[in-house]
Amino acid sequence: MSYELRVNGVEFEVAAPGMRRLLDVLREDLGLSGTKEGCGEGECGACTVLLDGEPVVSCLVPLCQADGHAVRTVEGLATAGPQGPVLSPLQAAFLEAGGAQCGICTPGMLMSAEAFLASGADPTEEAIREAIAGNLCRCTGYTKIVEAIELAALGRGADTAPGA
Amino acid sequence: MSRVLGRRFVRADGLPKVTGQARYAADLVLPGMLHAAFLHAGVPRARIRRLDVSAARALPGVLAVLTQDDVPFVRFGAAVEDRTLFAHEVVRFEGEILAAVAALTPELADRACRLIEVELEALPPVLDPEAALAPGAPLVHEDWQDYSANDGIVRDGNDCGFVNIVKGDIEAGFAAADEIVEGRYVADMSHPVPIEPHAVLAQWEGDRVTVWSTTQTPFPARNGLTRTLELPESAVRVVVPHLGGGFGGKCEFHFEAHVAALARAARRPVRLVFDRRQEFTATDMARHGIIATFRTGVRRDGTIVAHEASLILDTGAYATHGPVITEIATMMAAGPYRHPNMLVEGRTVYSNRTPAGSTRAPSGPQVCWALEQHVDAIAERLGLDKLEFRLRNIVAEGDEGPTGQRFEKIGARESLLEAARLIGWGRPLPPGDGMGLAVGWWFSAPGPAGCYIKLNADGSATVVTGAQENGSGSVMGLALLAAEELGLAPERISLVYQDTDAGAFDSGSSGSQTTFNVGRAVLAASAQIRDRLLRMAADELEANPLDLELVEGVVRAKDAPGRSVVIAALARRAQDDGELITGQGNPPAPKMPDSLGGSCAGRVAFPAFAAPAFFAHAARVRVDRETGVVRVLEVAAGHEFGRVLNPIGVEGQVEGGIVHGLGIALSEGTVFRDGNQANPHLLDYKLQTAADVPAMKIAFVDAPAADGGPYGSKGVGEPPVVPTAAAVANAIAAATGVRVRHLPMTPVRVWAALAGEDA
Repeated sequence: MSYELRVNGVEFEVAAPGMRRLLDVLREDLGLSGTKEGCGEGECGACTVLLDGEPVVSCLVPLCQADGHAVRTVEGLATAGPQGPVLSPLQAAFLEAGGAQCGICTPGMLMSAEAFLASGADPTEEAIREAIAGNLCRCTGYTKIVEAIELAALGRGADTAPGA
Repeated sequence: MSRVLGRRFVRADGLPKVTGQARYAADLVLPGMLHAAFLHAGVPRARIRRLDVSAARALPGVLAVLTQDDVPFVRFGAAVEDRTLFAHEVVRFEGEILAAVAALTPELADRACRLIEVELEALPPVLDPEAALAPGAPLVHEDWQDYSANDGIVRDGNDCGFVNIVKGDIEAGFAAADEIVEGRYVADMSHPVPIEPHAVLAQWEGDRVTVWSTTQTPFPARNGLTRTLELPESAVRVVVPHLGGGFGGKCEFHFEAHVAALARAARRPVRLVFDRRQEFTATDMARHGIIATFRTGVRRDGTIVAHEASLILDTGAYATHGPVITEIATMMAAGPYRHPNMLVEGRTVYSNRTPAGSTRAPSGPQVCWALEQHVDAIAERLGLDKLEFRLRNIVAEGDEGPTGQRFEKIGARESLLEAARLIGWGRPLPPGDGMGLAVGWWFSAPGPAGCYIKLNADGSATVVTGAQENGSGSVMGLALLAAEELGLAPERISLVYQDTDAGAFDSGSSGSQTTFNVGRAVLAASAQIRDRLLRMAADELEANPLDLELVEGVVRAKDAPGRSVVIAALARRAQDDGELITGQGNPPAPKMPDSLGGSCAGRVAFPAFAAPAFFAHAARVRVDRETGVVRVLEVAAGHEFGRVLNPIGVEGQVEGGIVHGLGIALSEGTVFRDGNQANPHLLDYKLQTAADVPAMKIAFVDAPAADGGPYGSKGVGEPPVVPTAAAVANAIAAATGVRVRHLPMTPVRVWAALAGEDA
């Protein structure tokens, strides 16, 4: 079978079994290895991507369910600039606040946070913590991740240049 | 210590990590790459009657199937050489590897594993470590006497590492005591749980193999590979791409040799990626289950006069670092208290569980949890405030450690006072709330360290190190040290790291040692480049090098900043003149403190604690008496790390440590059913989530170590995970009036303790 999906704004036709995990389609068939697998059981959230804007764990989504839909991954957050990626305010805030340590949970964490920010919900600390409660992080204790999302919500994270 | 250090900085690997560009071992793909799968025993103890791989080998698409018969018969192990790559004759834990397969797809590899014919004669597993110590108990390793072990390890049957501390006259101490308090505490095994599972990719080119691995310790991993496959060191290169956390679980040597052997047999690159169940059951670095028993004599004024402790560490099927961890545990059982008379004994006991090893601060959280509950119980017996009792006994400058080391300037007392201040110790609380305190200490690990630095023609510099970045930022922080010394912005320093062909030997991301050891090497290497630049600039400016300084990319006169020369110009000129400006640092390791540790039994690695860090956590909890559910409302932490060099990094370590510690306290415990783990999934082995985490307040105490890391710093990575569970336990007791003596303190156990039962 062949399925059509739009990933980070680009149309793809994927010839694969309909029950193939979206995670494998992204990582292996489309070469987007930014999305990580931590457990394969929908428990850790490392593989979180946005399906039509909603966060889903891509290890539990079969390809056929994504047919005709829009997928957004961590690779879709930044835009290309002449001197490397131009970060989204959320990514810049993660850098500035120290929200990434080992970085393995970061792609999924960013996608859950992106969906939260896009929802227009009031970015209280409690709401942010609830929004990322499905994403496990073993390094940070979450504090600096929550700070980063608060920073992005305030629109202050955009000033940090990459690598600065 | 002014321009760069002590300020907040953005780590260099942050940009690839937030964009998804950072590659981890499981992301790597090579042309022709095959997929590996392991056949695990699935039972805790058995004799192998038959192992026939012929049907698996015959499956189309399978290019290699290996068992112990296909690799050299070499026993290996970090402390005791007690294991082989694949099971040999017997099975000692459920994750034991019987065979490995390489096939075109992961599905084919799994299918081939299912085609392997295995006949196992089940044996009753050894699961009770106390019973395993009894005379005549079944032996996990019947041939234990034939194994070689590191010098000084004291072994006897199922005990693969006996350790003691003997200080003063314990009987005289008890005779002088007004009160004697006893207690017994039991901690279950738990797990490091990095979010990235183990992965290994191996590729041969001629007689050399490159292995990309998730190891925290590339050089020890290489050693294990060369030893077990009988290869020269020069034939093996271990590279770690970005590492997705380790927490000790990726220390030492794991599956690099299995995958390299598969790749050699298949004549193709082979990649192994573990699933979460394997990550729980087959990796051999679980956190030890511990049974701790204490008996302490005190005077009515609160002075400790005798302290006796017995520790039994369940090290599982193989010793790994167990005997060394038992040594650490005996130091932790003393705690940061003055003890005139003490007897501590530790035993490292084999069982048919998953091997336990060097999980972040190995033995620290469990023993601290037990000891600090016991300390609270002593204070209660004496009717003393728990802060006051600790203040009367805590160590300070000039005091003697458990093995006789003399403490220099330390911040134990100050850390305790900071934690108490931040939590508001003694303030009135609503009904159902309770507050608890816990103190602790942890070592820095002196070790070999080397580094090269190259000054590039554009005035940037490249630091080449064997050190390993596990995510904590310790390798990223090395750029700060070089930047400070060379007067460059941290972004001008690039890093080549975690590649055994490039860097000098390094013991890896273990023992909180990176900044402590490698940092000193970076300073030494930077100093050589700095000296060369000062001399070149002195010629140019016609000045004395002693009157010059390196600041913000220039060398300038201290008293006339306008007289300067740009470092990049000096570097470019050197290149044009054919000069290579490099620095090389491999300073001697800080010495171990003088101690009597050598006179105690079984002390092989830690006769004392070098450059020890001191700390205290305080917790406020609310306990639901109907359900046993504990809600942690607040944690305060006072930490002395000598000197804090990178506040954002150290805060991250403390916050992460506290939350890891809350998991150990409340939810993280391995449940075994007949020797098999019953909860090898994140659904039923629960980590703390963002929504569970309480408010955290952190204070640092400054007490630079004379014989420490750069600028008097101490190891940071492990201490923060040590005292949290203890503080929570004491807060639960304060809230409810009952002690929970079994870790983790799950709702069922809290509820049972409230009902007067032991769950």
